[in-house]
Amino acid sequence: MSDFLEAENEEQALEQLHEMDCTDGLPVVIPTSDRVVKFILASGLDGDMVLGELGPAMGIATVEKVAVAAVMAGCKSDYMPLVIAAVKAAAEPAFDLSELQATTHCTAPLIIVNGPARHNCGPVASGYGALGPGHRANASIGRALRLCLINIGGGRPGVSDMAIHGHPGKFSYCLAEAEEESPFPPLHVSLGFDTSDSVVTLLGCEAPHSVIYSDDADDPEDAEKLLHILSVGLANLATNNAIFASGTVLVCLGPKHASALARADHTRESIQERLWELTHAPKTEHIKYGGEFGKAFRDDPEGTYPRIPTPKNILVMVAGGIGLYSMVMPNWGGAANTNSAVSVKVESEFFCAIPGVG
Amino acid sequence: MVSLITEDFWGQGTFVAKSLGMPDIPRVKLPHPVAGLGEVKIAAIADSVVETILDSFENE
Repeated sequence: MSDFLEAENEEQALEQLHEMDCTDGLPVVIPTSDRVVKFILASGLDGDMVLGELGPAMGIATVEKVAVAAVMAGCKSDYMPLVIAAVKAAAEPAFDLSELQATTHCTAPLIIVNGPARHNCGPVASGYGALGPGHRANASIGRALRLCLINIGGGRPGVSDMAIHGHPGKFSYCLAEAEEESPFPPLHVSLGFDTSDSVVTLLGCEAPHSVIYSDDADDPEDAEKLLHILSVGLANLATNNAIFASGTVLVCLGPKHASALARADHTRESIQERLWELTHAPKTEHIKYGGEFGKAFRDDPEGTYPRIPTPKNILVMVAGGIGLYSMVMPNWGGAANTNSAVSVKVESEFFCAIPGVG
Repeated sequence: MVSLITEDFWGQGTFVAKSLGMPDIPRVKLPHPVAGLGEVKIAAIADSVVETILDSFENE
């Protein structure tokens, strides 16, 4: 059971939570016992059920503690299966959470939602402005995970979260794949799940970098030019991936760019393969501009190196409105598992709709 | 085992040591930052802390 705080009213309770560094700096919904219990009931799971251990504090994430965060974040109880899946993913060793929370890099966990839960546990937006304001599920599910990382994982800026700058996605970073607008199979299917599954894929990554390309259906080299531009944004020498030659990155194709690639008979796999090829670069550039890290290739300066380890380390999804933009998200690439992406199936069969609970 | 931690990361080191159940792990404080200082300055820092590091090993 969680400890209880006492306050005369919600205003006083909010100030108390701020003073205890239990918030992300913004006002939160006060996690009263009544509200939290309803969220636990809605999850259909035992409040004491352990979902995992969150570093660097190595706090135990129970359903109850996650429900507290979900209430504070402004979630509807419908979102609980997605928040729970995101927490489970963060607790997987391959995610390197302790190091991710502690690093000086700005990395933040991005939640990507696939499958029916995009609608059943949301709706989680995947279209215009999906990574921006105005989408309750996106905003509050991402925020709930952040509050778990703060209050269970102990990630607090300047103390245990040593990000030099951080980035706004550390408040909330969540979107769904626009499966209906995508010419490719859903991301989770490409990762080995069934179409009917709902899956959360978690990737620690930088803020989205915009990539503009005005596609031209009459240009036979259109797709290749688009892939070139994406590769420039994805692994330029200013990114950790280019410097460390490690990590996993995300390409979030706008639907129009996805169509341009499909028009050239590209598949997700061929996009990954070609982007990987295009992100090979001369070692001499790394040696010249890599600072201290440039020493890595000084004994073997000939030829090129892959700035991203393998094609599979380039995740490709489709989201956003219709226009000339895609997004790329480089990542940190550090720690024992090089900051891998982790996918977890959403368990929503236990979910119960509780009358009167949003 | 001795941990070398820079001034700005001292609090984080304390936090992680506690959470990993090693609150008393020997730690030696270095100035911050140490990256990119060049060999001369880093050698000077090494000279200034080497005795402390050795003492920490002996007291372990």
